[in-house]
Amino acid sequence: MSYSQIEVKLPAKPRNPFPVWVALALITLWWIIWDLDISFETLAYGVSDMAEYFSRYGQPDFSELSRYLELLGVTLATALWGTAIAFVIGFMIAPFAARNFTPHPSLYYISREFLNFTRALPDLLLALIFVAAIGLGPLAGALALGIHTAGFLGKFFAESLEQIDKGVCEGVAATGANFPQMVMYAGWPSILREALGYVLYIFDRNVRMAAVLGLVGAGGIGLALHDTLRLFNYDQAAALILIILLTILVIDYLSAWIRKKLT
Amino acid sequence: MKVFMLRWPTRNGLPPFGFVALLVIALLSLILTAPLVEIELERLGQSLGNFSEFIVNFMVWPNFDYLPTLGVKLLETLQMSLLATAIAIVISLPLGFLAARNATCHPVVYRITRDALSLMRSLPELVWALVFVSAVGLGPLPGIMALAFVTVGFMGKFFAEAIETIDPKAVEGVEAHGASWMQVRLFAMFPQAFPNLAGTMIYVLDHNVRAATILGIVGAGGIGYDMVMSMRLFQYDRLILIALSIYLIVTVLDRLSDYLRNRIIHGAKQ
Repeated sequence: MSYSQIEVKLPAKPRNPFPVWVALALITLWWIIWDLDISFETLAYGVSDMAEYFSRYGQPDFSELSRYLELLGVTLATALWGTAIAFVIGFMIAPFAARNFTPHPSLYYISREFLNFTRALPDLLLALIFVAAIGLGPLAGALALGIHTAGFLGKFFAESLEQIDKGVCEGVAATGANFPQMVMYAGWPSILREALGYVLYIFDRNVRMAAVLGLVGAGGIGLALHDTLRLFNYDQAAALILIILLTILVIDYLSAWIRKKLT
Repeated sequence: MKVFMLRWPTRNGLPPFGFVALLVIALLSLILTAPLVEIELERLGQSLGNFSEFIVNFMVWPNFDYLPTLGVKLLETLQMSLLATAIAIVISLPLGFLAARNATCHPVVYRITRDALSLMRSLPELVWALVFVSAVGLGPLPGIMALAFVTVGFMGKFFAEAIETIDPKAVEGVEAHGASWMQVRLFAMFPQAFPNLAGTMIYVLDHNVRAATILGIVGAGGIGYDMVMSMRLFQYDRLILIALSIYLIVTVLDRLSDYLRNRIIHGAKQ
């Protein structure tokens, strides 16, 4: 008896839908390229032009450095105030949006929905609205950043609060603590480090956004960049981009360092 | 008022030194920077009045004639983010391997790729959009380029981290068969990292849709341009529709990406 005579019953070969997905994705992409009318010819022609274009950024012009640094200061201050506003709002709303702390389920849903709402509105749209409402300047930017990131901070805080050990909450509840006492003694002390890390992360993010809020007139270094590019002052634009890049890298590094120390 | 008479759970009932120091530093820097942000009590009161006056403008009936144009613009926004994400995936996959400590070909390449990726993601999309608009002109193309550029920075880093956390046993097993350098990466590392990668892709797509909604502010395509224009021309009946549609799209996408990522990372049961 040889092997060929044994009836081998193999399990059915699993279907592999991967090629189908790839094909669908390619068709979609092809349709998008056709629909948006993107011609790769111009892109290919542009490669040599592109090299020439970027060489124009070769000599950064720092002659107006003091003005740029002032704008940078405004940008950082906007980010700081935005983070502070976000922290205050998030701090107050998070306990209501945490399932184990909220006084009533309906409050849970309302606060969650509120946080989602502020997160879903882009900060530049908020900045546009605030600029139109209270005038040009960094105050509008700080408010926009604050309201937008309050949604993030509130959500992060609430999720950390939900992960607190049950024993801690029960221990405090057993002393007859009411809602604010629960939050202040069982809630925040347990997540202090995590919360600080989140605040730093949000500050980091806010600095990046504050650098571009100037585009809609909400103060800071973004407007200067916009103006220099409009006037084709590539030397000044290069200086501004370098300043923004350096600031972001420094703050990125600092916040990563502090967050590492916290954990 | 019992809430405010907190006794701290320390020996003397006072807050710990580190906490007080942090609070003082934060408050001091806030007060010192207040003039830069033009925060003055007088002005705040005035702006509150202005704001309540302004918000009345939004109590208008939406202009539904605008809906078809809005649909086209929203579709363009979604298309831009999809295309940018696809381009970024193609570019960042190889970069991710080079930037992963266990898959790179040389430590120097690892360092360079890491630094290049962090440089790419350090500037916000809008700055790149500004630069690319002045390079290739108005339209969705500079927007796509800016999105893809920044996204490569993010995705390359996430990919590298996903590859670094794989189980080395499978790699050893495949290596023991005499697999080549490329085969080890393709058949031992990639399949293990794939669920994580797919989760990242969805997250990045979500991020890109958010970013694409505002790129139009600098003329890089999408709904952002209409948003700025209707604000400048005081067409609140349009603006309210735009804001609502952005809110809807972002919310739906947020939920969808949460759901999909849970499914991919934790399996279909959850």
